[in-house]
Amino acid sequence: MTSESSLFSHRWLPALLAAPLLLLILIFFYAPIVQAFYWSFFLERPFGGGSEFVGWDNFRRVLSDPEFWDAGWRTVIFMVFASSLAVALPLILAVAADRKIRLSLTARNVLVWPKGVAGASIGVVFAFIFNPFVGILAPINHFFPGAWAPGLDGTDAFITLIVAHVWGGIPFNFVILLAGLQSIPRTMFQAAAMDGAGPWRRIFDVQLPLIMPQLFLTLVLEFTESVTSAFALIDTITKGGPGGSTNLLVYKIYTDGFSGYDLSGASTQTAILMVFVVILTAAQFLLLGGSVNYER
Amino acid sequence: MKISILAAAAALMTAACSSAQAANFEFWYGNTGSVEKAILAQCDAFNASQSANHVTCVGQGSYEVSMQKAIAAYRSNKHPVLIQFFDAGTLDLLLSDAVVPVQDVLPDVDWNSYIKGARSYYETSGGKLYSQPYNASTLLFYVNKTELEKAGVTEMPKTWEDIIESARKLKASGHECPYVTNGEPWSMFEQFSARHGLPIASQHNGYDGLNAEYVFNTTFFAKHLQNLIDWRKEGLVKIASDTKAGNYTAAFNSGECAMMENSSGSYTDSSKAFAGKYELSVSLTPMYKGYERHNTFVGGASIYIMKGHDQSEIDGAKAFLDFLRKPEQQMFMTASTGYVPVTNDVLDAIAKSPDAGTTKYATAAVGIESMNEPGTPDTRGIRLGFYVQFRSIFMEETQKAFAGTQTMQVALDHAKKRGDELLRRFEQTYKTAKLP
Repeated sequence: MTSESSLFSHRWLPALLAAPLLLLILIFFYAPIVQAFYWSFFLERPFGGGSEFVGWDNFRRVLSDPEFWDAGWRTVIFMVFASSLAVALPLILAVAADRKIRLSLTARNVLVWPKGVAGASIGVVFAFIFNPFVGILAPINHFFPGAWAPGLDGTDAFITLIVAHVWGGIPFNFVILLAGLQSIPRTMFQAAAMDGAGPWRRIFDVQLPLIMPQLFLTLVLEFTESVTSAFALIDTITKGGPGGSTNLLVYKIYTDGFSGYDLSGASTQTAILMVFVVILTAAQFLLLGGSVNYER
Repeated sequence: MKISILAAAAALMTAACSSAQAANFEFWYGNTGSVEKAILAQCDAFNASQSANHVTCVGQGSYEVSMQKAIAAYRSNKHPVLIQFFDAGTLDLLLSDAVVPVQDVLPDVDWNSYIKGARSYYETSGGKLYSQPYNASTLLFYVNKTELEKAGVTEMPKTWEDIIESARKLKASGHECPYVTNGEPWSMFEQFSARHGLPIASQHNGYDGLNAEYVFNTTFFAKHLQNLIDWRKEGLVKIASDTKAGNYTAAFNSGECAMMENSSGSYTDSSKAFAGKYELSVSLTPMYKGYERHNTFVGGASIYIMKGHDQSEIDGAKAFLDFLRKPEQQMFMTASTGYVPVTNDVLDAIAKSPDAGTTKYATAAVGIESMNEPGTPDTRGIRLGFYVQFRSIFMEETQKAFAGTQTMQVALDHAKKRGDELLRRFEQTYKTAKLP
């Protein structure tokens, strides 16, 4: 009988093998975070030198800044709308593709392709698609001038961002959810059908409960990702405008830090945003995680 | 152990290189397109002109990215000798302790030959030039002469009153976009305030101290912006997002809009786009009647010498700066981009050249004239902290006013309030530094 530990004859070997990756994570993930937290307690000069310790002053300033809260609320609204849509739409598509309806095999392939498109490219394309003069909504403007104006109307710009984000999120979530659906034993389905359950009943009583782990995974990933991944879209479509209406925290941090050279303010906001995301993820695991049944 | 071998190897390499060539040094710039082509041509010309030094010119994609990288590079001690920075970053650089005043490094140059508007922007409160103006632009007034004449306007507009009169005629003749603006602070706000002699902030726009406060919301500029709003309602003025192109330069270049104010640096592109279709006219930017004309600010960028390099590299950098200052190099830059020459003697050189009077140098005389108009302590330039961030605040607030979600006065008051907060934080950040 081989015990598990006998796979590695030396007790330091596993640590040694994991070390390169741990080192990379340390250098490229934890070190910048430590740096950000460090800077958030200083008034940092862009070119260095003469930095001054200010304690919690930066946090006080950021938390009393209405712009920060506006950006924060916009982030939350974006997170809720974009991530729930980015899970709901792929779910519908996955259920459809799972049913072996006509063309579902083709659809399965086609729906995965967008995964290969970078966020910035999606932004460029959607900026064109939603252009008020030449895009797909241009006919609306033809009959009601100014009805669709993402360059002037903040809500329109926000909708553009959400649509672009959801589109970009479809492939990954679709694959995960479809895999979940396909692993449900056909016999359960057939049993439910024999008991007289219609298609809708089967979705809600058999399929959805059984893909809870996948749904939970996609939702958690989407929630955290929507906070950060909107950056490429904002940078290419709206630049935070018009009038700051699409200036989400992640973009505000970038512009404050790198365009405005306010390294301290950007670090402080980074620290706050990170704590927020950690709390949010923890809350999801505590509140939703308990109800997810991983047993089949 | 390994590190010391590497270091030794590196030292050997450097020694080998330096014996082969006196100095290799880097110059970072932020332009793209036709300007980048012109810069690279100048770098090649410099390298071909002598063998003592070799410049490597590295494009960073944009002024902002260039500045970001310079900050990161300086903090890790890997910065270039020469770097091009844009107008809005001036105060950050003056206080950075990362650059040496160009006038200290090159004391024998006749720095007074630099055009006034360009000089004053980059000099200390004591009048010492900190960086060498390079691709200098200023705001000019662009007119699609063909379209205006079609609408019955034969005299090209010179004042805002003229513009509006012409705009009404254009509109009456069915033209949908008489005047277009990008709404950006550099053109719509800073240049307007400068030439009308209006202060942007107290302490002479910050030249006299870091304790300045914004005042633009109380000057005649506020009235001008309200006018723009009213004219837009009347259908005479469009902002960039009202245009089909979503970009005001493109809207003008395609003939969609008939008048705009734009940087001289975009002249070449406009003139190429107009070729064979429309007649282009550039002139001094419009004034309101009753206001005396003052100098406009320089735009574009200038070249700084960064600290922490050895003498041979500095010598190479000096030779390169001398090279760029030569009239024929400046003429080359003007002809290929529309940027304005930066020293006064270039105008003579242009007048003597065989191409004098052609459209190649169309921006030179008018650009220099615009920057050489009489100045006041409020038209020297802008010396305000975190100014890049302020520009985006200004955009954000005025965009809301153009979209109609707040009045223009409220927008300007908000921008002032948020701008003052930036100034106070900048003041605290540089509490121990002294404004040179």
